[in-house]
Amino acid sequence: MNEALITQIGICIEKGKVNKASPYPGDMIGQEGSDELTRQALSEGIGPDLILQACNSGMQRIGERFSRNEVFVPELLMAAKSMNAVMAHLKPYFQTGTVKAKGKFVIGTVAGDLHDIGKNLVSMVVEGNGWEVIDLGVDVKTAKFVDSVKANPGCIVGLSALLTTTMANMAKTVQEIKNQFPDTVVIVGGAPLSTKAAEQMKADGYASDPQGAVAFLNKVSRN
Amino acid sequence: MSVSASAIKIEKEAVEVKISFEDLLIDKNEIGISLGYSAGKTPSYFMNMVDDVVKKLSSLCQPKAGYKIFDIDKSIIKPYGIYIENAFYKMEKIITSQIKKSDKVAVFVCTIGPAMEMWSKELFKQGDSILGYIVDTVASAAVESTADYLHNQIENSVQEEEMKITNRYSPGYCNWSVSDQHLLFSLLPKNFCGISLTGSALMMPVKSVSGIIGIGKNVKRMKYICGKCTVPNCAYRPYYLAINKRRLAKNNN
Repeated sequence: MNEALITQIGICIEKGKVNKASPYPGDMIGQEGSDELTRQALSEGIGPDLILQACNSGMQRIGERFSRNEVFVPELLMAAKSMNAVMAHLKPYFQTGTVKAKGKFVIGTVAGDLHDIGKNLVSMVVEGNGWEVIDLGVDVKTAKFVDSVKANPGCIVGLSALLTTTMANMAKTVQEIKNQFPDTVVIVGGAPLSTKAAEQMKADGYASDPQGAVAFLNKVSRN
Repeated sequence: MSVSASAIKIEKEAVEVKISFEDLLIDKNEIGISLGYSAGKTPSYFMNMVDDVVKKLSSLCQPKAGYKIFDIDKSIIKPYGIYIENAFYKMEKIITSQIKKSDKVAVFVCTIGPAMEMWSKELFKQGDSILGYIVDTVASAAVESTADYLHNQIENSVQEEEMKITNRYSPGYCNWSVSDQHLLFSLLPKNFCGISLTGSALMMPVKSVSGIIGIGKNVKRMKYICGKCTVPNCAYRPYYLAINKRRLAKNNN
């Protein structure tokens, strides 16, 4: 098995190297990225699960660097972009069940709130960490979240809000999901939120940034 | 009513200030700080993207700004809120301590229009989340600069009448509820500067700023006020702290 190749895929994820044409990062210009290397690995018969494992390690390393304030959201997004290039090659294996996503994550900005940047960043980074993301968009009514939980048993739900005025809608949505599906895990995030606010609305977790959401999801999925 | 900024007086009517893209100061290093980096430390790949977006900003940014001035009754200002036109606005002492020294208050709004946010949304839809994020960040810097311009113009004009101004305060900050946007906007002409409110008090276009500025002989515009705010874990504090540090360093050089 070509271990160097697998290691290099993980490095490409961590450093956000998508493909040979990409000028990012500066110290990898002209080198092959996760796109070409994954194609090569599969053609050499390397199992998709091993490729995925290397990617997850790469995402974990960049996530840890983000938590230490060594890198910021743009680097996280580049890593997620590199991961998505891998996922495009692995898609057939997901469809046949050869490899599995870590879980399903349903996300949306709550009713009354049209802000989507924070929600989009979280979607991108969570997806890049091996989760299947179902993005319900913005101004999402409680019923739509509930329907999505019904359609995706075992999913984790992420609620986003940027306005203090829509926090009340968020609380109602958390309550309704918990009423109908008490075991469903709900995480909340957004500028007006805090751990305390999350506790008050009986959410299971709060994340202040995309990496925080990933850490929470990974922790929940391990339990 | 529309007047040039230099002609601003303490008007009783709503005044729309003439403002163009050239009036805005877009500091790319500050945009880098908004992205999370220390001044001058933004990786060149991302800084090049910032450069490209800033170049396009001139054709996409349509700044508009305006205000209306109201008398305030200082005798009924409470530590936990103020009255403007008989309506009560609950807010923190950090704001009321400044407004209580004011004789008048300017209710203001400004925007850069919808084009930048539409571009950002489109980029996210196409899967280019990095550029979409940078477009959004540049747009936020542009609308803050629009607010800075209006703030400075109001300051310059009231100086002619030997008055000073306070910092600007917006619903959503300093424990001032965003829901008060509805009350605040009721003081201005409908669709003033092309800005409207959704039911949940979100301004449309999203890249808009609203708020109040105190005007009086005994008020002061301070360099940095986040240190006095008691809101825990405010998402904006680290950014304003870094920006303020940078501006102070620039002024000292």
